Amino acid sequence: MEELKKDISIEESKADFSFRKYAWTQFKKNKPAYYSYKVLVFLAIIAIIAPFIATDQPLYCKYKGVNMFPAFSFSNNCEIKDPATGAIENIQYDIADWKHMEAETIIFAPIAYSPNKTDYDNADYVSPGGKQIFITAEGEEMEIPAKFRHWLGTNKAGEDVLSGLINGTRVSLTIGILSMGIASLIGILLGAMAGYFGDKKLQTTRGSFWTFIIGLFFAFYYAFIMRSFELADGFATSSLSILIQLFISIFIFTLISFVFYWLGKLVGKIGFLSHKVFIPVDSIISRAIEILISMPLLILIISVAAIAKEKSIVNIMIIIGLTSWTGIARLTRAEFLRISNLEYIQAAKSMGFKEFRIIFKHALPNALAPALVAIAFGVASAILTESALSFLGVGVPPTTVTWGSLLNAGREQFSAWWLVVFPGLAIFVTVTIYNLLGEGLRDALDPRLKK
Amino acid sequence: MQKQCILCGKISRMFRYILKRIFIFIPTLIIITLLGFLISINAPGDPVERMVSSAQSGGEVGTQSVSQMKDKLFWRKKLGLDLPVFYFSVTSYAYPDTLYKIGDKPEREALSRLISNHGNWNAIEQYHNSLIRFCDAQLFFRPDTNQLKGYETNKVIEDLNQIKFEALSLKASYEEVLMQAKIDKIQTILSKYSFLNDSKRLFDQVVSDHQNIKNTESKWKNYIPKIAFYKNNQYHRWLFGDGGEFSKGIIRGDFGTSYVTKQPISEVIYSKIGWSLFFTLLSVILAYFVSIPIGVKAAANRGSRFDKSSSIVLFMLYSMPSFWLATLLLMTFANPDVFHWLPASGVKPATGYPEGAGLFEKIKISFPYIILPAICYTYSSFAFLSRTMRVSMIEIVGQDYIRTAKAKGLPENKVIWKHAFRNSLLPIITVFANIFPAAIGGSVILESIFTIPGMGSEAIFAIQNNNYPMIIAILTITGFLTLVGYLISDILYALVDPRISYK
Repeated sequence: MEELKKDISIEESKADFSFRKYAWTQFKKNKPAYYSYKVLVFLAIIAIIAPFIATDQPLYCKYKGVNMFPAFSFSNNCEIKDPATGAIENIQYDIADWKHMEAETIIFAPIAYSPNKTDYDNADYVSPGGKQIFITAEGEEMEIPAKFRHWLGTNKAGEDVLSGLINGTRVSLTIGILSMGIASLIGILLGAMAGYFGDKKLQTTRGSFWTFIIGLFFAFYYAFIMRSFELADGFATSSLSILIQLFISIFIFTLISFVFYWLGKLVGKIGFLSHKVFIPVDSIISRAIEILISMPLLILIISVAAIAKEKSIVNIMIIIGLTSWTGIARLTRAEFLRISNLEYIQAAKSMGFKEFRIIFKHALPNALAPALVAIAFGVASAILTESALSFLGVGVPPTTVTWGSLLNAGREQFSAWWLVVFPGLAIFVTVTIYNLLGEGLRDALDPRLKK
Repeated sequence: MQKQCILCGKISRMFRYILKRIFIFIPTLIIITLLGFLISINAPGDPVERMVSSAQSGGEVGTQSVSQMKDKLFWRKKLGLDLPVFYFSVTSYAYPDTLYKIGDKPEREALSRLISNHGNWNAIEQYHNSLIRFCDAQLFFRPDTNQLKGYETNKVIEDLNQIKFEALSLKASYEEVLMQAKIDKIQTILSKYSFLNDSKRLFDQVVSDHQNIKNTESKWKNYIPKIAFYKNNQYHRWLFGDGGEFSKGIIRGDFGTSYVTKQPISEVIYSKIGWSLFFTLLSVILAYFVSIPIGVKAAANRGSRFDKSSSIVLFMLYSMPSFWLATLLLMTFANPDVFHWLPASGVKPATGYPEGAGLFEKIKISFPYIILPAICYTYSSFAFLSRTMRVSMIEIVGQDYIRTAKAKGLPENKVIWKHAFRNSLLPIITVFANIFPAAIGGSVILESIFTIPGMGSEAIFAIQNNNYPMIIAILTITGFLTLVGYLISDILYALVDPRISYK
């Protein structure tokens, strides 16, 4: 019976032997890459639960018979009625002095400090192993209890370094996701078009080509020039309104482009306008990539970040995303060049499928592997760029605590080694695991490299 | 004879290839200058305001404006802001072609927003003109003692100032509610004093013109795009100058005036670019010198302990943020508490070089200052280069002709250095294109950590002080240097590899 089961499982594994499964086993064999994957999952979990493990608001507090969950609660205050006197005491969660509160039960987060909150008793660079004090409600000075200890010391203002590190994980991982999300969207789309169509495959009529170009002008006019004040106001108010305004503009742009696209199909039927022309998609996109890679990107990002009216980390992520798609586009293009000549694509074409469907349904899944590798390396360099920017204090609001800004604080006082070592180590580890992941993915996804 | 012809063909083909690279070089440069220009005109704040207010500040509302008017006109002319922005502009049918002539930036924006809201330029122009008449009259208005009889003098002066302030801010406002509020306020103050009847008449004109804007609205005009062309514009002037009156243009190396020191920017950059180029080139050369032997040795003894350990170390160096390493090194070797072996900042002693010091003496004095920056500049490109060298060497070592050379009985050293090494050099030359720009970009961070007086630290200083012309100049120059780096690596590649087809 046992053997039979074994046989069946072998049969099964042979039956659904897929490339994905093969790549996964290859990836798992690469120990450094596999462990970095595990570390990354751990970091992601930390990033998600950061507001609950490093916050000065207690997880649970029972005060005058009222149960409160400040760290988890959406509202910011709680009104407590004293049953004896009837007086109402209002506790505001974010500014309440929890550490000196005489509560019946109080459970603090593992790190009982928020990244921005100052601990005046332990200000001015208190070292991790040094003497840390705690002043009780009665004004007595005592050795700090373990639950309030600054495990990685404090900076000049008395902000907890460990809490900053834990909350900085969020920023770093979001940078990776958002900027590389934008970059891979642009990169894969342009790369796929360049590789699939080449210079000689996208054919259209003279009439529809020029109609479309004129349409692009109108679309741009109505979407961006006419709405320029709305967009400017959006940038001045908040990140959300930027996104909404941009979305509306892009929607108008697409709508008008489509109208002119269909119009062009009609125009293309008229006499001399029906002459066939090729659109050199590949040349256009390749030139654009060449131009973008010759730009001094770090200085460009710094200059753009410097003129932004409102300093925000989201702006930085968007700028990084908009400028770092070239690597992904190049690899996707190369892969599409190879795939578009394969027989199964020819077969799909001969069956009369729409080009859109062939690109996205048949070709793209097979072309994603190299892009994935580029994305992993891209995340590493995006994190480096962001931490360099916040290290220099450019474009990042001073209230946002990131690994780079923590490290920057350490520059002022070299005796505070913990401000230099730990944030730097965090950046280093994160960048390293992304690089290792990239290498592992490359080895696993590209069977040609295996020896 | 035949050989010469092949050579001729090769040279002409190579020449064509290089020409083709230059064809890409030029549009890229234009795009970089365009981007720089775009950033500079979108920069917050009015540069004229800044130039004038740093010269003099304070004073009463009225007097300040009068005395500054001339200054403003001068700076507007000097900075070229009295010209349209670009060769063409895409606006709507409602816009006049000459809106750029309005000097004040907030005023211009208010007007263009009014146009985009209402669409009738004639009415808006009328309103604007009568508002200007009112403002001018109000700025020079001084009530004499006769008129002041029966009023509290201080109160009158306060109210008059209030009118000036509201009128000036009315010029820069465009929201209907705000405008109405300001108009109402001015009207109530005007009606308080009998001696302000003249002003009141002027202002009634403003009010009726304002009403007129709303009555003769023609929003449809905004839906018709219009392209206007300008021969003489800011970008053209920025590139080519205005015939030498104020600006020679960046093609002659004139980047304009610094907002902070009011010095010509080219002078500042000229004095700073030396150290930046020195460190960039030093790092590239050092990186090549160190990485080649390491890469070759690791590849030749593939799988050995040296190969494995160097791989790990190089990989870690590659992922190490340069600003972290720099801070760690400073913390260790330039810290009085640990090892105070090296100076922490600058490139020479604070007192400068001793008088009459020769070149060698200067090098000797600067040497300890250069060690730490040089390490930080070099290590990341060195790690990258060694890894590339190793991979390309491994590829070559696996080829048949190397096995033949070994089988022939050639000594290992000779096989590696004479047969394999030369051919494995190709990829490492091409990555020059990656290293050179990286070194230039990295200089922004490292120069500001080590306080090296170069372009990178100047860029950070400029950003902290909103000195936009400087930022744009640095962006353009580094863009140019990056492009030159690419061009050099392309040409080197073409020179070195006989197999390249120049297509």
